[in-house]
Amino acid sequence: MIRDITLGQYFPGDSWIHRLDPRTKIIATFAYIIALFLVMDLWGFAIAAIALAIVIKISGVPLKFIIRGLKPIFLIIIFTFTINMFMISGDVLWEWGFLHITRQGLRTAIFMAVRLILLIIGSSLLTLTTKPIALTDGIEYLLSPLKKIGVPAHELAMMMTIALRFIPTLLEETDKIMKAQMARGADFESGNLIKRAKSLIPLLVPLFISAFRIAQDLAMAMEARCYREGSQRTRMNAMRFSKRDIAAMLLMILFMVIIIVEAHIL
Amino acid sequence: MKTEYLIQAAIIAAIYAVLTITLAPISYGVMQVRVSEALTILPYFTPAAIPGLFIGCLVSNMLGPYGLLDMVCGSAASLVSAWLSYRLRARPALVPLPPVIINGIIVGGMLYFAYGVGIPLIGCILWVCLGQAIACYGIGYPLLRYLNKYKRIFE
Repeated sequence: MIRDITLGQYFPGDSWIHRLDPRTKIIATFAYIIALFLVMDLWGFAIAAIALAIVIKISGVPLKFIIRGLKPIFLIIIFTFTINMFMISGDVLWEWGFLHITRQGLRTAIFMAVRLILLIIGSSLLTLTTKPIALTDGIEYLLSPLKKIGVPAHELAMMMTIALRFIPTLLEETDKIMKAQMARGADFESGNLIKRAKSLIPLLVPLFISAFRIAQDLAMAMEARCYREGSQRTRMNAMRFSKRDIAAMLLMILFMVIIIVEAHIL
Repeated sequence: MKTEYLIQAAIIAAIYAVLTITLAPISYGVMQVRVSEALTILPYFTPAAIPGLFIGCLVSNMLGPYGLLDMVCGSAASLVSAWLSYRLRARPALVPLPPVIINGIIVGGMLYFAYGVGIPLIGCILWVCLGQAIACYGIGYPLLRYLNKYKRIFE
């Protein structure tokens, strides 16, 4: 049952977007999210959508792949849309019993749904085009100014890297334990929510014990190789800002200016 | 920071991510019964769970389909509640409480303000709280009682 899970969102590629520095992509994604909240009308969203479409085109990630990622939030979108459409009062367009659709309601519903879709696609593009390890390096770098106030940026990044490394191992372990417990008559797939939740306990306890054994071994192996935190480390893949990143930043600034001008001046 | 502490935190993060991934269909979005949230009881056993749960949440949102906003809000909520749970470890029955309340407020707030879910703020918060309560008290608390028998693995 675990076999068919593809880990992560990363879509391998060698596009202009893929080759950008992870830091550039993280900052640009933040900027894009902020831009979406500055937008006041659907024209602004049209600009944001066109910009996003161009970036998707350049990234070479197939649209089908992106839409598939939207599937789990489809329900939220429908839910939000329906609630907004029926709950907001104003000029009535359509009425049936206690249900009514108003012009304001319809406008808000479309506005929120478009924003949500752009928000999800825009930010998932980051994980689609960046390897988790590169993303971790980027996060470490962006957190490093916080070292001054005592945030252990390097240690946090190290934890992320190790966690990412061990996810496949523990996935396999989980699968093994699940099968072992099912062979002993455990039932993970029937019953109501509470019963199913309870049935996970015989899975979780052995998983913990085995995972902590791995942790102990790993800690010992690292100490035996003189790992010490806090010492200056070099990287196998050093991050480097290139002309490409500068160009991307300038384009992002241009985009922000257009969005702000559209929303607040025009 | 000792190496073992660092590794323990990393492994807790990995377990959190694994549970989020394997039980993904009910883990993301408005319908938040994220089974992995049951792990929020771990600060009862080891302080390494504080960064562990924070990183776990960060990594699973990194691998999940929601992107940056969930990554920031969700992990911030995890960090705060894990720290509070750790402070409450003298009273095991209260350990699963912070993740219910803090995640309810932060994630509920995110759904309301950022996602524009059209129900009132308090509704969003209670909705998330409900999902969290099922995960934290429904699975988390029994897990705490069972793991108590194997306490020495955390040492």
